[in-house]
Amino acid sequence: MKNITFLTGYYGSGKSELAINLAIKEQVDYVVDLDVVNPYFRTREQEKIFNEYGIEVISSDLDYKMHIDMPYISARVFIPFHNNEKRAIYDLGGNDVGAKLLRQFEDYNDVDIDLYLVINVYREESNTKEKIIQLINKIEGIGGFKVTGLINNSNLLRETTLEDILYGEKTISEVSKETKLPIVYTAVWENLFADNLVFQGEILKLKLYFRKNWL
Amino acid sequence: MAKVLMKGNEAIALAAIKGGADAFYGYPITPQNEIPEYLSKHMLANGKVFLQAESEVSAINMVYGAAGAGKRVMTSSSSPGIALKQEGISYITAAELPCLIVSVMRGGPGLGSIQPSQGDYYQATRGGGNGDYHLIVFAPESIQETIDVIKESFDIADYYRNPVMVLVDGLIGQMMESVDFDRPVRERFLPNKDWATTGTKDHPGRRNVANSLYLDPQALENHNIHLNEKYKLIKKNETKFELVNFDNPEYVIVAYGTMARICRSAIEMLKKEGIEVGMIRPITLFPYPEKAFDQIPANAKGILTCELSMGQMLDDVLIANNGRHKVGFFGRAGGMLPDPEEIVAAIKNFNERVVK
Repeated sequence: MKNITFLTGYYGSGKSELAINLAIKEQVDYVVDLDVVNPYFRTREQEKIFNEYGIEVISSDLDYKMHIDMPYISARVFIPFHNNEKRAIYDLGGNDVGAKLLRQFEDYNDVDIDLYLVINVYREESNTKEKIIQLINKIEGIGGFKVTGLINNSNLLRETTLEDILYGEKTISEVSKETKLPIVYTAVWENLFADNLVFQGEILKLKLYFRKNWL
Repeated sequence: MAKVLMKGNEAIALAAIKGGADAFYGYPITPQNEIPEYLSKHMLANGKVFLQAESEVSAINMVYGAAGAGKRVMTSSSSPGIALKQEGISYITAAELPCLIVSVMRGGPGLGSIQPSQGDYYQATRGGGNGDYHLIVFAPESIQETIDVIKESFDIADYYRNPVMVLVDGLIGQMMESVDFDRPVRERFLPNKDWATTGTKDHPGRRNVANSLYLDPQALENHNIHLNEKYKLIKKNETKFELVNFDNPEYVIVAYGTMARICRSAIEMLKKEGIEVGMIRPITLFPYPEKAFDQIPANAKGILTCELSMGQMLDDVLIANNGRHKVGFFGRAGGMLPDPEEIVAAIKNFNERVVK
């Protein structure tokens, strides 16, 4: 993972849960919430948890930023690009629409970044190799940056089994083979986690922050 | 189709397609925008109609027209948008035309907020439109139940020639769940739509007219009586509810939608402490499951109505309870979602919650 890493993907692929878990695991300095697509379940809602880990959240400077769906983000999103020793995870909104926000970083193309595509093959629009590759092309076309890695986050929420993750890996491996993009992480919910699991890429143990226990 | 992970709004849209929707007319509003977004892609791809109207008023009148032509037609909106549609809804109901209206509730009154709420119970069950009319109102608590209800809704609407409203809050619209679209739907005998305004080929010399104007008082009263008979039939046939933990409850919670989910957790927590609490979960809000209240044991200490509003379903609970038990109320509003612990505390301090 480079100092600046963007997470993109089809909406509902689990980007925001991954962003929190990855940020805490990697002890980054900033989490930047660039989601201008969703009205609920955005990274900024978890500011308290991030602060406990000493991670600063950059999102919108507007009052009521938690409760409005204005397409507005703070100019502070550029801070990590000007501090090359700082590490940051950028959580983009879903789909190519969300990836549009990458364009504003075009002038910084001398900075080496990672752009990871989060994939859940149980989402209708990313359930085949072809659809995933099409999404990669769209995101790269609209965002102006190349995808550098794939994250297998295939899950059916509480009903997920290890077989489901493996099934996701099969499809994503085909994408990897064709695009030459590595699978960098495989996400596994903490209730399914064991030390002897073998999946492609690093295993990321997921704790759920957004989903309340009654959901 | 195996299990898939869907966002509530997307699932509503796909379920409507599976239910046979021919046309969608709407106007965007948060937190239900994924419904038109999804349909804009998938209706046109399947040769169906998707149209973003210039306003909610326009959209509901397009629904009126398409329903009159005998098509399976729907619209969706959220609180202030549904408010704008009320006039058209009353007209459609008066003209006895079937359609599906999906209402994804957000905070109110006025522009309110975009956070989840159940503040539109009155709007759905009492109506903001004029006259003696009712919608058939479903209030599912999960995305799966929403899918099941939506798939059936066009059949129900066609059967009774009455609009069906599916009422959820923004949380159900925005959250994700793994769901199955292939669960069977109850089969109904659906007569031909010989009332549809599709020309005179099948009945030469007689035009069908979609109408809500009755200038002769006796004719209008006859129409009112006819509608009322229909609502009685709907009450008899379509009332739906679920009883949770109802063996011998000390207290009974009444809650629907997202609030019922929170209460389920509270009931589990109370059980661990040795306090048995049951729940009546209305699945239809009109017709309201009044008969469920007859099953509350005579020695129950009270009924706690829980809502994401300042107390609207409370009225129906008081009517259904008919003075038998003490009725208390717990509500959060404005987009605030309670934790189950708050419901646990409300049950433990029930006496402070009593309204009647």
